[in-house]
Amino acid sequence: MMTNTLTSTLVLLPFLAAGCCYVLRSNRVRSLVVLVTGFLLIISAVGLIPLTPFTLSAGNLLGVRVHDLVMVADFLLLFLILYFGFKHRSLVVKILSLLQILLVAYLEFFLIKEVPATGTIYCDSLALIMVLIVSVVGSIICFQAIPYMRNHEAHLRLDKSRQHRFFLVMILFLGAMNGLVLSNDLLFFYFFFEVTTLCSFLLIAHDHTATAIQNAVRALWMNSLGGAAFIVGLTGLYYQSGHLDLQLIIINASPGARVFLLSLALLCLAAFTKSAQFPFQSWLLGAMVAPTPVSALLHSSTMVKVGVYLVLRLAPAIHGTFLSQCVAIFGAFTFLAAAALAVGQSNGKKVLAYSTISNLGLIFACAGLNTPQSVTAGILLIVFHAFIKALLFLCVGTIEQHIASRDIEDMRGVYATMPLTALITVMGVIMMIMPPFGVLLSKWMAMEAAARSFYLILIITLGSALTVMYWARWAGTLMSDPFAGRFKPERQPLLTWGALGALSAGAAVLSLAAPWIYTRMIAPAMSGTYLLPYRASGGILENAAGVFAVLPLSVVAAVGFILSIWAVKRAAGARIVAPYLSGIQVTEPGMFKGPMNRLVKAEAKNYYLSSIFGEHKLTAWVNLGAGVLLILMLGGTL
Amino acid sequence: MILTTVYVLTGFVIGPLLGGLISGLDRILTARLQSRIGPPILQPFYDAAKLLGKEKTVVNVWQAFCAFGYLAATSMAVVLFFLRSDLLLILFIQAVGAVFLVVGALASTSPFSQVGAHRELLQILSYEPLLVLVVVGIYLETGSFKIGSVLTHPEPLLLKLPFLFVVLGYALTIKLRKSPFDLSTSHHAHQELVKGLLTDYSGPYLALTEIGHWYEIMLLLGLCALFWATHWVGMTILIVVTYFMEVLIDNVSARMNWRWMLGYVWAMGLTLSLVNLIWLYTA
Amino acid sequence: MLKNLIQKSRIKSPWLLHYDCSSCNGCDIEVLACLTPVYDIERFGIINVGNPKHADILLVTGTVNQRNKKVLVNLFDQMPHPKAVIAIGSCALSGGIFREAYNVVGGVDKVIPVDVYVPGCPAKPEAIIDGVVLGLEKLKTASLPARL
Ligand code: SF4
Repeated sequence: MMTNTLTSTLVLLPFLAAGCCYVLRSNRVRSLVVLVTGFLLIISAVGLIPLTPFTLSAGNLLGVRVHDLVMVADFLLLFLILYFGFKHRSLVVKILSLLQILLVAYLEFFLIKEVPATGTIYCDSLALIMVLIVSVVGSIICFQAIPYMRNHEAHLRLDKSRQHRFFLVMILFLGAMNGLVLSNDLLFFYFFFEVTTLCSFLLIAHDHTATAIQNAVRALWMNSLGGAAFIVGLTGLYYQSGHLDLQLIIINASPGARVFLLSLALLCLAAFTKSAQFPFQSWLLGAMVAPTPVSALLHSSTMVKVGVYLVLRLAPAIHGTFLSQCVAIFGAFTFLAAAALAVGQSNGKKVLAYSTISNLGLIFACAGLNTPQSVTAGILLIVFHAFIKALLFLCVGTIEQHIASRDIEDMRGVYATMPLTALITVMGVIMMIMPPFGVLLSKWMAMEAAARSFYLILIITLGSALTVMYWARWAGTLMSDPFAGRFKPERQPLLTWGALGALSAGAAVLSLAAPWIYTRMIAPAMSGTYLLPYRASGGILENAAGVFAVLPLSVVAAVGFILSIWAVKRAAGARIVAPYLSGIQVTEPGMFKGPMNRLVKAEAKNYYLSSIFGEHKLTAWVNLGAGVLLILMLGGTL
Repeated sequence: MILTTVYVLTGFVIGPLLGGLISGLDRILTARLQSRIGPPILQPFYDAAKLLGKEKTVVNVWQAFCAFGYLAATSMAVVLFFLRSDLLLILFIQAVGAVFLVVGALASTSPFSQVGAHRELLQILSYEPLLVLVVVGIYLETGSFKIGSVLTHPEPLLLKLPFLFVVLGYALTIKLRKSPFDLSTSHHAHQELVKGLLTDYSGPYLALTEIGHWYEIMLLLGLCALFWATHWVGMTILIVVTYFMEVLIDNVSARMNWRWMLGYVWAMGLTLSLVNLIWLYTA
Repeated sequence: MLKNLIQKSRIKSPWLLHYDCSSCNGCDIEVLACLTPVYDIERFGIINVGNPKHADILLVTGTVNQRNKKVLVNLFDQMPHPKAVIAIGSCALSGGIFREAYNVVGGVDKVIPVDVYVPGCPAKPEAIIDGVVLGLEKLKTASLPARL
């Protein structure tokens, strides 16, 4: 009973709340609805922790079978996408959505004889982790969106607020994500999969500028391609096994069968499009035209995580196959290529976007590697990446609203005007690249797991060195202070501080709790296909090959941090001198006396090495490489 | 427990002392190679003590934070090394130190610091993958990333990982700030970037970076020592020869630019590691 | 103990910053001669650094003129305490043969406090080294910072 209530809160409440947001056009009421929904989602998600694992059957809703409801909604959704295809004159969208309509119709009316009686909803540790991420991170992002959108619209000077539509889609997105990760019936999964496609389209197009619409349509067709691959894969799976029960499919995997493997490969392809892996990266890069909370949502807890979730879910089924190897190589390749492209970018949001693609690539590599350690690494990476990426996007959004630029060069010395936001951003960067924080912990696991396969480890080490480069550069730039006297205290809305604080504290605490997460949430999921990869005792993760003392290291890091802060306090009494400018500096900060006694600004730009890592140099090659790998993956299953 | 404490203290105290002595020796050796006499062997300690007693001046308080961060990370890496912890983890922590140093330099707007910091990032980019690959090689040979299992390995690693030792040499040259790779900052005299990365660190904070560097020297030589962990004589010979080669290379080569460094080090380093790794896989 | 160590170290490790105001380069060549293997001042822990923030001793050669006096002050300001200034050669002492020129301010001590004057035109390397040693006396007796 409890599980029933909680699950329906997680899935259905957002749909209701989204409707309320649309209908009730008062800012106050809407904010209240968003806040209440968010908190209810968080509470229900936490409430699920002691109840997992569980299975539910959907049964009836208002006297109609849920299965039929979903089917009708599915058709409505696909026709809606078709409509957008016509509206924006996109041939690809039209074709792909027609194809999907036909296939769904074929599947529903001709193939599927009986509706499975049990097991439409299945929640194990992996699903629970996803639900927690979606509900917690997603809700926090929605909270922050309230002040952000107020500013955003004030800035755009709209005569009619469009926030009701915005929050409609944002909240809907959370419900769809929860539904997706909890579905065990693949048709339900497919329905929610398509809902996220539509939601992302609507959110990217939200500002209705020409670029926004263009990018949104691009996102739509790429994700429709994924949807089409998904539904073709489903048809194949049904042919092979006669049902669409995800758990049964995984347990009774028949990796020898060609149709089965090809179907799974198609599902992986769908996952790659959702997770914006190369060569489908352009939709995610284009998505940054949308208001920042959208990027935060797409990049951290929703949308792109669908892909990695799907592949991690399917990992046991493809264990030991060529497909699994292909996924690993493909993921590692994306990890490296996206990191290289991120090095070449000075646009902060693009760096974040490439870093997302890169991290997702690493998760795919972990899933494809398919060992207990690597799968653990993948799951942990999903958790930490969600928190920190959301945090960084919100930080960049906040900075952007102040300096009216998202270029890293313009963020030089932002510390002087927005000290707290800059510090939180640097915290986020530190948590991305430094031990003992979670991302590095997962990277450590991934590397130790990949060490047995020399091409993977080679690619991953190169990628992670590049990663350090673009993050460290950014953190330093934020602190690069042009030295303009005393700091102004910074003002931000309470919800912004709340969101930033909650996300950064959350990421830090979760890092500390990583061994606990491992024993409580990941180890149970490891039973069956995998052996337990680590012993966790006293906050230390250890196995025969390696040891990562999470808790002791965190304690040492905390002590080091406090000492360093103390050093900063004491250094505040130190004499402040101007940066070295060969002795020709003047009292104006950052200036020196140039020819004819004129004042010249001393400037040094970051190295972006665009002659090596620029988009114009790399993108074509990377897309080509990824394309070849994809063909290899699909062809290899035949 | 007592043993752990002893290890921690050794790493923490003996580490920098030895590291300082080695860099003193380094300076004498360099002077001799240039037919000079050179400073006393304790010179690095005099330098550090003097710097510690100087007035504190900063461009930006975050420099102080970063200098402490660098010292904390490098000392931590050495302590973990003495605790026979996980090699990969030690490398990660060592990288934390390097990143702090860069961020501290970027905190100053001086173009010299800025350019130095970016060159240092490129240096990190060059050596970091190599160090990881060396550790992976050790793992493949001994079956574990833990130093403990390297020490119990029956035969010297050098015999199985000769190419990876050369690769480690590349990383060592960059990390010890030796020509031709001393792009971001260098020890002796000054360079086209004034002091590059370290330009705006001064007084006690400069001393901290010096002490941190001693820890780094210890860590890297420790890594070298693992290649002949079966007998202390072999170990000593290996370290002495390696270090002498480093000084020699430093003195006979000119400083190159980052393009060359990245291209050359990656090409040579990755090829050599790959050859050695494939050899290990097939053997 | 610590105090003794630091004071000893100050003498053992003076780092020089050499600033050429507007000399005829005669004195500069003599300064650089000190670094060569013949004199090898690194024996005494002396290093020629290029950066006031690392320097303990400022060596100034040549006369101060209107254009570079600000630079000299800036460099001097950026050096952390304790520090000493050594003026080298007649020019740095008083303006030397250039002192009548329209743009010349005069000796170094017109702009910043000078601790040691090394005469000569140019000053001999031995004299320069001697001047540095004299300058060290000041470093030794300088107070320690209140908090280390
Ligand atoms: S003192 Fe003599 S040698 Fe020195 S700079 Fe002046 S003129 Fe030249």
